[in-house]
Amino acid sequence: MHKRDTIFCAICKAGAFVSLLLMVGIFAQLLIHSADAWKHFGISFLWGVDWDPAMDIYGALPSILGTLFSTVLSLALAIPLAFAVALLITESPEWLKRPLSQCVDLLAAIPSVIYGMWGLFVLVPLMQDYVQPFLADTLGIIHLPGGAWLLGEDGVGSGFGFLTAGVILALMILPYMSAVMRDVFRMTPPVLRESAYGLGCTRLETTRDIVLRYGIRGIIGGIFIGMGRALGETMAVLFVIGNMMECPAGLFSCGSTIATTLANNFAEATGLQQSALFALGLVLLLMSFSIQLITRYYLALTSTRRGENA
Amino acid sequence: MKTNIKISTRNLNFHYGKHQALFDNNLDIHANKITAVIGPSGCGKSTHLRIYNRIFELYRNQKATGEVLLDGKNILDSDVDLLKLRHRVGMIFQKPTPFPMSIADNVAYPLKLHYKLSRSEMDDRVEAALRGASLWDEVKDKLKSSGMALSGGQQQRLCIARALAAEPEVILMDEPTSAIAPVATLRIEELVLELKQKYTIVIVTHNMQQASRISDRTAFFYKGRIVEVDDTTRIFTNPAHKQTEDYITGRFG
Repeated sequence: MHKRDTIFCAICKAGAFVSLLLMVGIFAQLLIHSADAWKHFGISFLWGVDWDPAMDIYGALPSILGTLFSTVLSLALAIPLAFAVALLITESPEWLKRPLSQCVDLLAAIPSVIYGMWGLFVLVPLMQDYVQPFLADTLGIIHLPGGAWLLGEDGVGSGFGFLTAGVILALMILPYMSAVMRDVFRMTPPVLRESAYGLGCTRLETTRDIVLRYGIRGIIGGIFIGMGRALGETMAVLFVIGNMMECPAGLFSCGSTIATTLANNFAEATGLQQSALFALGLVLLLMSFSIQLITRYYLALTSTRRGENA
Repeated sequence: MKTNIKISTRNLNFHYGKHQALFDNNLDIHANKITAVIGPSGCGKSTHLRIYNRIFELYRNQKATGEVLLDGKNILDSDVDLLKLRHRVGMIFQKPTPFPMSIADNVAYPLKLHYKLSRSEMDDRVEAALRGASLWDEVKDKLKSSGMALSGGQQQRLCIARALAAEPEVILMDEPTSAIAPVATLRIEELVLELKQKYTIVIVTHNMQQASRISDRTAFFYKGRIVEVDDTTRIFTNPAHKQTEDYITGRFG
């Protein structure tokens, strides 16, 4: 091999090795520092509902459920939105395509703390004055079975809470998801589209039955990218979620996520509390990891079912 | 014997933006016959074919003027229902285009689109279409597996089955065997010959042997104009124009 190639090769190898080492190192650190908490609470740390620094009792359930709930809410809002945005951009004429897609991409450039401030000063009052009363009274969800739980006991909110966090998260993950979906739509072979139209499909039928199916792997990949971001997002959520150590009890209820719990408590935590926070961090890392694994497994599964490996 | 004219184009012109691709095409397509459209690359033969189901309208800046009469009705009129038109005029493309779904679902797809059928009627129609495309015996044990796992020739016959399922009157074929192995090509040619009993077929082909083997009539295109159209035997044995003769004897193209 040429000498310069050898050097280049060595640099690449070193880079790859360092990232692997970092990964292992982070895992090890989290494990070591959370050892006390695991020893003290055992595996039941995961479903403990109390988080009481005064009593030195720590349970992860409120944060875990809060993380999942806010993530699910944000996905429920962002998936249809991202889909619509991607579709609109792909189908618009050239002069509209560029400005539209750049605007959406720019959403990703906004720092999350700005989202948080915007959430606090604009979205929270909006939610309190319009959205929450609308959901509760106008749509009458509170009278449906389970509605009272969904909207919280009395159906009036402060504007803070999981729904508000979900909306902000949805906006934050929108550019990532719509970018992936846009690529998927663009990558559908024109002749496949043509043959769908050639059978007499409408635009909706072509998109729903052919383009969507053809690109389902990419779309699911995009959804998981968004999900990964929503799981770990801290700053923006911190501003609007209400920061209570309580399990989610409806759309308007206040709570916390793993990330916000860490950000809120880490600075002044010592001893067992600090260890419990490390344990929470480990849980979050494992959650993102398993999402990655599930995605890969799912993608492998669908590709064999579609016969691409045959 | 009186010949039925299924499609008749009158003074058909076509533009890609400012570039004119077809000039005053006049062509009669006979019912239940195979019409081959031949000519060198870029002569407009695919462009011409793609007007018959108005598939070109998916793209901006493409415009056809003149008349294309399908059973006497101009399909270029603005009041034509495109979905109905494409239901009547099916199309097979250069590359096989199986949809990302199972073999059975591929064929059932146009049925679901155009008809409301019970489960058993659906199964019967799927089987009939697959038999019609002489694919049934090869796939009857794996109807649930992916259409994309079939070989190229099988995929193309699957696409033909899918087109047949919609029960079209006309089938347009845009170089249907150009991406397919020679043996599989022969099978598709046999199939096309069988299909003319029920359907009117227009086939664009690069392959002059193919045109002479299967078609009843042949139209020779050159630079967007129809130089000559006649019975296939006449075109290949005694063409009226020098250009046609030069092309079919391989002097250019």
